[in-house]
Amino acid sequence: MARVNNWHLGREMSYPYEARFPERQFAFVFNINRCIACQSCTMACKSTWTFSKGQEHMWWANVETKPYGGYPQSWDIKILHKLHEADPGGQYWDGVVSDERTGPYGQFEGKTIFEAAETTLDPESSRVVGYLPADEEWSSPNIYEDNPVGKKGVRDQLDKVGTELPVHDTWFFYLARICNHCSYPACLAACPRKAIYKRPEDGIVLLDQEQCRGYRKCVEACPYKKSMYRGNTRVSEKCIACYPRVEGTDPESDGVPMETRCMAACIGQIRLQGLAKLDEDGTWAEDRQNPLYYLVHEAKVALPLYPQLGTQPNGYYIPPRWVPKPYLEQMFGPGVERAVERYKFPDRELLCVLNLFRRDNRIIFRYEIEEGPKIYEGNYRGRPFTLYNDTVIAFGEDGRELFRTTVEEPLHVRTNVHANSI
Amino acid sequence: MPYGEPDPQDPHALIGVTLPGDRESMREMAATFAEEFAALGFDEAQLLNLFRKPQNAGAHRAWSVLGEVEVRRIISEALEIWGRFRFVVRDAEPQPAGSQKRLVQIGDGPRLIGEDD
Ligand code: SF4
Ligand code: SF4
Ligand code: SF4
Repeated sequence: MARVNNWHLGREMSYPYEARFPERQFAFVFNINRCIACQSCTMACKSTWTFSKGQEHMWWANVETKPYGGYPQSWDIKILHKLHEADPGGQYWDGVVSDERTGPYGQFEGKTIFEAAETTLDPESSRVVGYLPADEEWSSPNIYEDNPVGKKGVRDQLDKVGTELPVHDTWFFYLARICNHCSYPACLAACPRKAIYKRPEDGIVLLDQEQCRGYRKCVEACPYKKSMYRGNTRVSEKCIACYPRVEGTDPESDGVPMETRCMAACIGQIRLQGLAKLDEDGTWAEDRQNPLYYLVHEAKVALPLYPQLGTQPNGYYIPPRWVPKPYLEQMFGPGVERAVERYKFPDRELLCVLNLFRRDNRIIFRYEIEEGPKIYEGNYRGRPFTLYNDTVIAFGEDGRELFRTTVEEPLHVRTNVHANSI
Repeated sequence: MPYGEPDPQDPHALIGVTLPGDRESMREMAATFAEEFAALGFDEAQLLNLFRKPQNAGAHRAWSVLGEVEVRRIISEALEIWGRFRFVVRDAEPQPAGSQKRLVQIGDGPRLIGEDD
């Protein structure tokens, strides 16, 4: 295998192909603190791309209740367990969490899904450690969540008064997921037909259905289980990042790059998607005024999902504040403590940038802040807290202003023409 | 839907696991919901409702465990900052004629506000 640089891991790693990077990379930030599991994102994708016969089990966008939920069931537990088996006791992070752009989370000392394949899989041509979920594991997108249940033995009738459940001191949160359009896609690495490719213009990972023969190697290899097999066409399919919208070729986009359907539909306003400029080595080029760059590399509040798997995913998450740190560290790596602290007590700029989420469906390429007067000063949860009436201005690809909003914007305002359009 | 007794062979059977939650993580979850939704424009009554309604599983569980008094305290703490302000987003392009009024969908329920509100 080739050696490639994985900045999430703070080191080089093995990958079946030489590294190649797009000019810009499709990327997104989801703020878990706000997700209410309304599943509008899930349905927006379903009703656009996977409503046909043979696609019934497919949810390219899904939201699962963590820690027990998963689509397919237990996908993350299963792959973590496989890696643990391949490298017992060795799956840990070392080094320090730093402000570096390469290796901001320290160094991962364990084995990625590609490295574990080198030492544990037979034959030698096997490239990725993974597993093929059973059919049943795909059948419930979020089992036990929001499943209304009636009285035992009484069919087709819901309980009129609801169910009393025992109350425990516990925790959970909602994890929204789509394909991460990884920099080192496992689906692409595993495909013997080279049917999967990464677009040089935006890093979107696509599966060529003409080339696919339905071997399901990608389904087995993708650790996030975002490549799915369709029985009636006998080929696999995956999230296409709504590329006509991102390109600006969708009729609705009017030639301007737009965020995807699942982003645009988000009720909780948790999602921001854009394009990150890349350096030649695949790290994010400094682009200080791009909101994604700011959240990932400056504020460092947004972290990759299971970076230890090694695909360098391009989905980033602001972790939920209330969840025990060891669980979050397993899921988002060692940057969790810093991210949660900063999100809990946001500074002036972070408050402005958080206000860019879902104010517009066009992709934001740059933002500026016009500073305003102090409007509040006091203590909040034991710490001094100051709020300013700053204005944050968002700009599109052509450098023209898209909209402006003040830092304290709590209301979602849309024109009365298409109040519910996404 | 699970009408019968759990079948250990059923791949859908929920497997019992211990989630080491404590009172603090519950309080933190409640504070997060209060803040996030106060920042979206919810007032005190709406926030209380969010916690009281069993459909909102996370918030409601916090209300059951912490009690109404503590939830009210958390809400007023959040509103102390986020409840003070009312703001608007302005599109860069001029609005087409007749659309000077905008529909506010989150906050005090749907209502029209003018440019000067
Ligand atoms: S998330 Fe899975 S399907 Fe998507 S690019 Fe990464 S490996 Fe491929
Ligand atoms: S980006 Fe588009 S195709 Fe992908 S999950 Fe979202 S809506 Fe579906
Ligand atoms: S639409 Fe947004 S808030 Fe609703 S479930 Fe999806 S990510 Fe969460």
